[in-house]
Amino acid sequence: MAQPRLDAFQVIADPSRRQILQMLTKDSYTINSLAENFDMSRPAVSKHIKILYTAGFISIEDIGRERHCILKQDGFNELQNWIDYFDSFWKNKLKKLETLLNNKMNKK
Amino acid sequence: MTRTIKHSFFYSHSAEIVWEYLTNSELMAQWLMPNDFMPEVGHEFRFTIKPIPEFEFDGIIYCNVMEIVPFKKLVYSWKGGPGDGSINLDSVVTWTLVTKENGTELLLEHSGLMKNISIYEAMNKGWKENIAKIDELINKSTHGATKA
Repeated sequence: MAQPRLDAFQVIADPSRRQILQMLTKDSYTINSLAENFDMSRPAVSKHIKILYTAGFISIEDIGRERHCILKQDGFNELQNWIDYFDSFWKNKLKKLETLLNNKMNKK
Repeated sequence: MTRTIKHSFFYSHSAEIVWEYLTNSELMAQWLMPNDFMPEVGHEFRFTIKPIPEFEFDGIIYCNVMEIVPFKKLVYSWKGGPGDGSINLDSVVTWTLVTKENGTELLLEHSGLMKNISIYEAMNKGWKENIAKIDELINKSTHGATKA
C-alpha cells in the first residue's frame, strides 16, 4: 500500500515511531520483536516501520531468516539540515540589522 | 534535551532603538521579513519568506506573540508547514535585550526546532555500537548457515 511521504519532522512527531527509533538506538530488533513491544496490531507496527524506512530513518536487512531494522543516518541528516538552515538564517539577519542600524545612525 | 539555536550580537545602539527594530512591523521588514506583527500579547501574525520545498515548507511562518517586556524581552511562537494546514515546525523565538555600556547585547534563542532531539543524540551515540552489533549478527548468521 502506498504511504504518503512524510518529512523528517512529521516522521518523528509520532510517539510510536519515536519509541521504535529509541529502541533501535539501544539494540537491533527484528520486525517481529519490535511488534511485541507495542500494544498495537502487527500491521500497524509494520506501517510505522515502513514510514521510518521511506523517510530514511532505518534500513531493513535480511539476516538469516529474520528481517532486522537498523538505524540509518539519512533521516536524521534532514533534521540537522533544517537546524543548520535556521542557524545561518539568523546569523545573516542579525548582521543585516547591524548594517541597517549603523546606516541609520550615520545619516543623523 | 532540546536543541536550541542561540546567537548573541552586540549593537552600538540603545535598547530602545534595537527594540524599535524588533517590534515595529515596517522596521522589522527591512532586516527580517515582511510581516504583520503588532506588539500585543496574543496577536497572531505571519512572516513570509521563500518556500523551501526540500523541507516541505511553504514559506509562511505562523507566529503568536507570547510575551512582551518592553525594551527587554520578546517571545513569539514560530510555526510552519508544507501549506496543507499541517505544522511540522513548531518552535519558539525569544529575543532578550541587555543594556551594556556602549550599546545593547541582543540574544536570540530559537528553541523547539528539535523537540525530539534525544533520539538524535542517542542515535549519534549509539551509532557505532549498533554497526558493531549488526556486524556481529551478520557474522553469526553466516556461521550458522555454514554449520547447518
